[in-house]
Amino acid sequence: MTDQVAKKRRSHKQFVVCKVADLSPGQRKIVDLDGKCIGLFNIKGQFYALLNYCPHNGGALCQGPITGTALPTEDYEFVYSYEEALVRCGWHGWEFEIATGKCLVDTKLKAKTYQVTVENGGDVVVHI
Amino acid sequence: MIDCDVHNSWSTTDELLPYMDPNFRDYLVRGELPGGRGSFPHAHRPWLHPEGFMRTDLTDDYWPGANYEVMREKLLDYYDIDFAILTSEEVIEISTLANPYYASALAKAHNDWMVDTWLPKDDRFKLSMVVAPQDPKGAADEIRRIGDHPDIVQVLVSSGSYRPYGDPFYHPIWEAAAEMGLPIAAHLGGQGGVNYNPIGCGPTTFYWETHAMLCETGMAHVASMIAHGVFEKWPNLYFVIIECGVSWLPGILWRLDADYKALRKETPWLKRLPSEYARDHIRLTTQPLEQPKNKQHLWSVLEAIDGENTLLFATDYPHWDFDDPTQIQIPPAWKDKIFDENARKVYKRLSPRRNGK
Repeated sequence: MTDQVAKKRRSHKQFVVCKVADLSPGQRKIVDLDGKCIGLFNIKGQFYALLNYCPHNGGALCQGPITGTALPTEDYEFVYSYEEALVRCGWHGWEFEIATGKCLVDTKLKAKTYQVTVENGGDVVVHI
Repeated sequence: MIDCDVHNSWSTTDELLPYMDPNFRDYLVRGELPGGRGSFPHAHRPWLHPEGFMRTDLTDDYWPGANYEVMREKLLDYYDIDFAILTSEEVIEISTLANPYYASALAKAHNDWMVDTWLPKDDRFKLSMVVAPQDPKGAADEIRRIGDHPDIVQVLVSSGSYRPYGDPFYHPIWEAAAEMGLPIAAHLGGQGGVNYNPIGCGPTTFYWETHAMLCETGMAHVASMIAHGVFEKWPNLYFVIIECGVSWLPGILWRLDADYKALRKETPWLKRLPSEYARDHIRLTTQPLEQPKNKQHLWSVLEAIDGENTLLFATDYPHWDFDDPTQIQIPPAWKDKIFDENARKVYKRLSPRRNGK
């Protein structure tokens, strides 16, 4: 579990969403923060937050499976990667990297991400 | 003694997971399994969705459509839907069975189950009654048995079929539907079993490749229903094609019109151009609406089939390729008709619009 240092922004709100111990690696939590539906993920001990709104078509992005996928390959091989680092949108299945919000199939698309910090020795804080 | 054939078994296919490459392990964990979780991926149709074909934000159940409360919250109330025409889930797969009598027995059971268990749940529900197209007599009997129920609004079959639906083999079914004043609907599905040829050149390989090509069944039914004179025989019949896409229809109709003009003598029972029959009798549901980069390209195509008056809105809830009515790209000026009026013309048993709605 690594504490992340918050980059201070001029105007933002902070929400303590849970304790580190409440969300194990590979798990997620869907929360309403100031009217925004947000998915908080624990990916291998790091916490990430994404808006639960798919930039493709408005689907429930954060409520799809947390998984990996096959990398692009040259020779009809299946090379599995991004293990437990992707979320597939809960509607149409487009793949997004949880840490960055990057959409694998359309690099022009990006899911909205939020900074997450761990503070006071165990509070998981989402900054929106 | 040597017994050369003894069948051991797993109790669930999950026992295979530790032995699978992670890429394909995901298929077995989350992918479509026609027999449900823990079953083997039998190809009742040869293409299984590698992630399962349900939205995953609804319930943890393998069949989210079994949960009425979630449907009410996430669909009916959420989008303020006046009527939802239920099309069920697996039952149209009866068309893939070789035994027509068993298929018709399943259809009858489904139809009674719908009236008994789903209809009372919500005033907004209207039902599709299912028939087994490989059993024309049984299907016609079933339509005459239950087709006058006021909350049944259409006769439903799968788009996958043994032969194109204009074939006289099926006419007893369409005759019974016309008699009851019910539209015929063909919904994507039934691509396997005895319906061995849903793709023109033979079987494709991957799910996404195939899903995009299953519009071929819709094309074949359009041509066949028109050419065999179904709409001359039953001038009040509507044929609704569900979930087969829409943008292919103009091109097919242009081709049909051109070929008919030269070879009308093959089908002397026709009195109008194929596109004219289509305009009056064929309706397509919008989902999954094609999504070109430039929506004007789609809208131009839809103008060619008078989409404003011939398209019926559908979400496909709770499936993975759900269309959200707030996101769907149809011309704003057409929305009232596509979201409501066009369906009321096809489904005449729907009650009229309430004031202000």
